[in-house]
Amino acid sequence: MMFEHCIRCNICTENCPVFRVNKKFPGPKQAGPDAQRFRMDGEESVDSWVELCLQCKRCEVSCPYGVNVSEIILKAQIKYRQEHKKPLTSFIFANTYYMGLINSQFAPLVNRVGQTGAGKTVAHAIGISTKLPLPQYHVLTLSRSRSKVGKGERKVVFFYGCYLNFNRPDLGRTIRDMLARMGIEVVLPNQVCCGLPALGNGDIDTARRFATKNTTILSGYIDRGYSVVYACTSCGLALTRDYPGILDVPNGKKVAENTYNVHEYILKLMEEGYWEPEFGQVNMKIAYHIPCHLKAIGIGYPAARLFSMIPGLEYHVLDDNCCGLAGSYGFKTKNEETATELGSIASASILSLEPDALVTDCGACKMQLGHLTGLKTLDPAEVISASLK
Amino acid sequence: MEKMKVDGYDAVIIGGGLSGLMASIWLTTKGRHVAVVSKGDPMCCLSTGCIDVLGHTDSPLKDIRKLPSSHPYRMIGQDTIKEALAFFKEVMEGIGLHYTGDPSRNAEILTPVGTPKTTCLVPSTMRIMSNLEDEYLHVVSFKGLKDFYPSYIISRNKNANFSIFDMGVYNTMGLAHAFEEKAFLGRFIRRIRELEISDARIAVPAVLGLRSPERIMEEIRLETEKDIFEIPTLPPSIPGLRLFRGLKQALLEKGGQIYWGKEIASVEKTGNKVEAITLAGEGKPTRVHGKTFLLSTGSFISGGLYATRESKAYETVFDLPVYMPDKRHKWFNDDFFKTGHPIERAGILVRESFRPKDNDIDNLFVSGSILAFSEIMKYQCGHGLAISTGVAAAKQMDGFLK
Repeated sequence: MMFEHCIRCNICTENCPVFRVNKKFPGPKQAGPDAQRFRMDGEESVDSWVELCLQCKRCEVSCPYGVNVSEIILKAQIKYRQEHKKPLTSFIFANTYYMGLINSQFAPLVNRVGQTGAGKTVAHAIGISTKLPLPQYHVLTLSRSRSKVGKGERKVVFFYGCYLNFNRPDLGRTIRDMLARMGIEVVLPNQVCCGLPALGNGDIDTARRFATKNTTILSGYIDRGYSVVYACTSCGLALTRDYPGILDVPNGKKVAENTYNVHEYILKLMEEGYWEPEFGQVNMKIAYHIPCHLKAIGIGYPAARLFSMIPGLEYHVLDDNCCGLAGSYGFKTKNEETATELGSIASASILSLEPDALVTDCGACKMQLGHLTGLKTLDPAEVISASLK
Repeated sequence: MEKMKVDGYDAVIIGGGLSGLMASIWLTTKGRHVAVVSKGDPMCCLSTGCIDVLGHTDSPLKDIRKLPSSHPYRMIGQDTIKEALAFFKEVMEGIGLHYTGDPSRNAEILTPVGTPKTTCLVPSTMRIMSNLEDEYLHVVSFKGLKDFYPSYIISRNKNANFSIFDMGVYNTMGLAHAFEEKAFLGRFIRRIRELEISDARIAVPAVLGLRSPERIMEEIRLETEKDIFEIPTLPPSIPGLRLFRGLKQALLEKGGQIYWGKEIASVEKTGNKVEAITLAGEGKPTRVHGKTFLLSTGSFISGGLYATRESKAYETVFDLPVYMPDKRHKWFNDDFFKTGHPIERAGILVRESFRPKDNDIDNLFVSGSILAFSEIMKYQCGHGLAISTGVAAAKQMDGFLK
């Protein structure tokens, strides 16, 4: 839907996390449909505040009229970035994939330097926030782990994304092996960043390059009867929405149509009677923080549906708050305050439940909320895996 | 150990507004597996959070019998309406948002323009008043807050006065968030203590926290020894948002699923049963299948109904037949501000069982403002109708599932 369909009801404003805590941001209604009336091709952008939007998509999800609020803002962000000098942080975060490739080679060194005073000073000097511990890198990335596991009639390609590959390969292997145990073949072919970080940093060309490379790989597998499965909900949003949408890459639609959230895929296997699990007892109380992008994908909360089948598990679903980190957004010093404030709202909700652990799908949510709440932080797949042992 | 299988939902609720949410929560209390599908956030988050049951009368419950026999309220009857509203109060209490008021008599609250608003169930943060025009009031508003001007209230009440606090936050969402913080609340309390007001009650725009307004107000009362209450504001409306988020959270806590933000692309039917709906998206459509379905998509403003220039109206999900009052030129009264525009009667005609008339689908039910003859503006019965028809339809669905 176009910006003209906006009736200015303000429901998006009610849902905008940034608007709540940062008075420099006028809110999605004004930044999106309202300001769009004044943005003309060939005219220079004047709205530097568009960059304050963290692209959580909550405005778009909540709009009763289907106005593409966050996409309007995203396009304005891209235009703004194209017209202005790129700060070093935008370049770095658009290319987190290459950072990951290099950093994982020298993981022990990089991890140590990142924690030193000098490392932090350098990071700060180029505009990287050091409020959160920087993510840890690993030499044995997922891309260097076994790339084919399990056997079965059903076959999936695991699109694991940068976070699992470089920062949590152990979790990636847990998900890979859990799927294999369901009697399916899991392959992990070479793949690159989904492109969302580049898009979020206003670099649509890099995003498109990544996307094209991925669709070429994935579409080959789809032709041979594989489905694509993702665990990172932001990668999932890119694959199912941005590839055929704003990025509009060849085979984007085909990839989107054959891509599943890992828990959505498990439910599908169960619904079709392919896999009939026996869930074991997990005696734990968890707070399940829903990442904004899972909400935006529009498939419900499939992991929560699986949680409801696990005996002994007490789970509480929380879907009102953004963690504030939003990928690279909160790692920039200029957004530090907004990110921390949003993180504290989300963690207050979580802590009020007094859970044994915090569970969330997204890597950024895990880093931010794990740090702020001090709780043991798990992926939904780890809970399900524990129940299957 | 039992082997797990996944089946369709017992009930799929289309439309996550007040009616759909109440129906779904009611069904979960009967042990039903429920999914709500919602295109966007509902209109109730723009509302005052008050529950109007029936306006223009002192005793809403009793006067339901005076409504035309075609009105959906008449189909349910007093007892079910009473039960549904009591259930609503109970659900809200469960999430820490208490409601005062009684469906057997109407109440009045103060609006930002100083006029009384007739309503029935009122969030406990607001105040039911009987002598609006001479109550001793001190209105406290916030610098920069749009659409809330205490002088409107002052002009109608000779015993009212006001102060404006500059708290460094200039909109309702920001203020509601800030009030949840100890330091900000402390600052506000200090400002209140500095006011020289004797026994006046303090009235503030409804921004006293999004998550825990009752705790915040209690703290203000304890610390200042002053009575304080909220006045609803224009959107972004915090009390409306509390209502919606509260109900949504209650549903999630009871194990309900919610699919957000997608329109319905298609409907699957076999024989006279709806099997599933699929949600639109750029990628693969998401299929939600169930044993019963509730249509609670609202009227024109919420997108449940759609009218064309040719005087036709469509129901947007199942293409059910829509009752239309007349030709387009007769949809509205000449005087726009005269309530009871004929178009308000448009909607879906249902049988006693809340299943659509002139239709052979037998597992589809309808509730809320999409029902024909509900005329929620004319009878000032929007939220009350949403709640009662939602619960009434849910009962029928539960019966169907047995």
